[in-house]
Amino acid sequence: MSDRGSVAAEARTAGEPRHVDPEVGLLVGEAAQQRVPAERAEEGAPPYAVWDRSVAREERAAADTTYYDRPVIKEPVWIWTVPLYFHAGGAAGAAAVLGAVAQGVERRRLGRLVTRCRWMGAVGSALGSGLLISDLGRPERFLNMLRVFRPTSPMSVGSWLLAGVGALSGASAVLASSDGLLGRAGDAAAYGAGLLGMPLAGYTAVLISQTAVPAWQEARRSLPVVFMGSAMAAAASLLALAPLGPREEDAVRRFGMVGQIASLAGMLAVEREVSRIERVGAPLRRGPVAALWNAARAAEVAALLLSGFPGRSRPRRTAAALLGTAAALGLRFAVFLLGRASARDPRATFHQQRAGRGAAEVTGTAGVASPAGDGGEAATSAEG
Amino acid sequence: MIAMGAKGFFTDTTVCIGCKACEVACKEWNQLPDDGMFFTAMSYDNTVSLGASTWRHVAFIERPVPLGGQTTAHGISWLFMSDVCKHCQRAGCLENCPTGAIVRTEFGSVYVQPDVCNGCGYCIAGCPFGVIDRRAGDGRAWKCTLCYDRLRGGLEPACAKACPTDSIRFGDVDELRATARARLEQLHARGVTEAYLYGEDAARQPGTEGLNAFFLLVDRPEAYNLPPDPVVPTRKIAPAWLSLAAAALGMAAAAVGAVASSQERGHS
Repeated sequence: MSDRGSVAAEARTAGEPRHVDPEVGLLVGEAAQQRVPAERAEEGAPPYAVWDRSVAREERAAADTTYYDRPVIKEPVWIWTVPLYFHAGGAAGAAAVLGAVAQGVERRRLGRLVTRCRWMGAVGSALGSGLLISDLGRPERFLNMLRVFRPTSPMSVGSWLLAGVGALSGASAVLASSDGLLGRAGDAAAYGAGLLGMPLAGYTAVLISQTAVPAWQEARRSLPVVFMGSAMAAAASLLALAPLGPREEDAVRRFGMVGQIASLAGMLAVEREVSRIERVGAPLRRGPVAALWNAARAAEVAALLLSGFPGRSRPRRTAAALLGTAAALGLRFAVFLLGRASARDPRATFHQQRAGRGAAEVTGTAGVASPAGDGGEAATSAEG
Repeated sequence: MIAMGAKGFFTDTTVCIGCKACEVACKEWNQLPDDGMFFTAMSYDNTVSLGASTWRHVAFIERPVPLGGQTTAHGISWLFMSDVCKHCQRAGCLENCPTGAIVRTEFGSVYVQPDVCNGCGYCIAGCPFGVIDRRAGDGRAWKCTLCYDRLRGGLEPACAKACPTDSIRFGDVDELRATARARLEQLHARGVTEAYLYGEDAARQPGTEGLNAFFLLVDRPEAYNLPPDPVVPTRKIAPAWLSLAAAALGMAAAAVGAVASSQERGHS
């Protein structure tokens, strides 16, 4: 009898990961609604290699200790759509700025450029929003991004910027061929998009810098320059893929070249900033992240040379545009992967903070906690 | 933000026996799903770290390093620490959250509202302790709630209730600080000079302005997988905004320059 009872209870809890029998227990706890996937193959296996370490190996490096080399912070959960959004959103913001300036300086002779920039702002924002929404754990709740405005959160600021540029660029693009009052409304919207496009083009650098990830945190002063320059290069490269008037093409070329120079200079500054702590800069010196970073730089230099030398044949312009796009994309992915590699390395965080570049950098006081006579605080004040 | 009347934990690792009753009590009360069963070869630790479905995690540090009062036969020292969300006075997750899903409760704790969270993942990158995480298949960010539901009902959190050695103490943070300092003095008097408090107030941990869940440790924070000098990322971000402003003005100037200097024939 009792056997049959337990079989029935087992049947009632089959597929329910908490094994709570609904006849005797209620699922009302804080996490009772936490969804558990039917497909759980990954969870049954260890998330990393085991059996490859011994206690003795731990002991050898007592002064540089970690907890079984496990990460101290969580690796960002963002997927490939996020660096792709850095590119799309950046291009949309930079195009909105270039379009608004062209409209203000000489609307009559740069009409095609103005219209195309408006469309690029609109399409880039829409595409970018789609990429961001697809990264959300609960995509159907994307509108919660506009539920509050929180100035401490660059993601909140950016959501409002993206919504603003998208709406204003979209309106201005639709009204691009209108005359009279509607045309003037379109012009006003384009100016608004240009104004909001300025921060939109580079706020993502601030967003990733405001994390516990050591490499992104260390590069917070130069990353905005890299991202802004890369956004200009990305917008100019995309605009150069289809013909415009000669003067318009020249303006786009110059805009893109300034962006490429800025992003190349910014990359050097990033390298210097992350290399202050050996362990933080490690992913940029060797391995796949360094390879991608250097490849992006090579493509950017090549694109810059192709645009800068005299002679403007169509195939050469297209080659420069394609190289410029590849460089801008590669750069965003390299920065993204740099952060993930940095987050996986507990020593990057530990060394950064022991060297006085944790809270001590902003609070003035070393908050480094250690046992008495450990020497950790002395090391901090000496290095910091 | 809230200092008076804030509730929290004082976790005294010197009396922890590594029984994991806190982990089990937390799972049971909050009805958290399992994390998968596997062997890690990390001493007796098979939950690895705090995560979306592990809101208490007992760390096991088993090494041939002699430590006062913690060494067993054969010269092996064994440290245990029940880790938990720190409910920081300045919380990186809360300040990064773009939806307002993460809030400060009337108990001074940091709480994620599951009906608002859209799983953007920004809190995860913003936590200097690697506490909060997104549950695969669920899509939302989860972490310790300081047993908000139990506190509302006048009960102490499940982990503290289940702890058989009172290693986990729950109460008013002000009172816990006094308790912790008395305990520290007692240990120092007994010759356990390596004992110290981690994150007990803003003076000792200025980066977070103090933790509502703080610890008594006997080895470097790194040994327990705690950052030695954590900081809420917001506090370091002003130079990045300034840099962005300068770069944005630079871009506008470049656009003006490019358009104004552009030529009908290009350059040849």
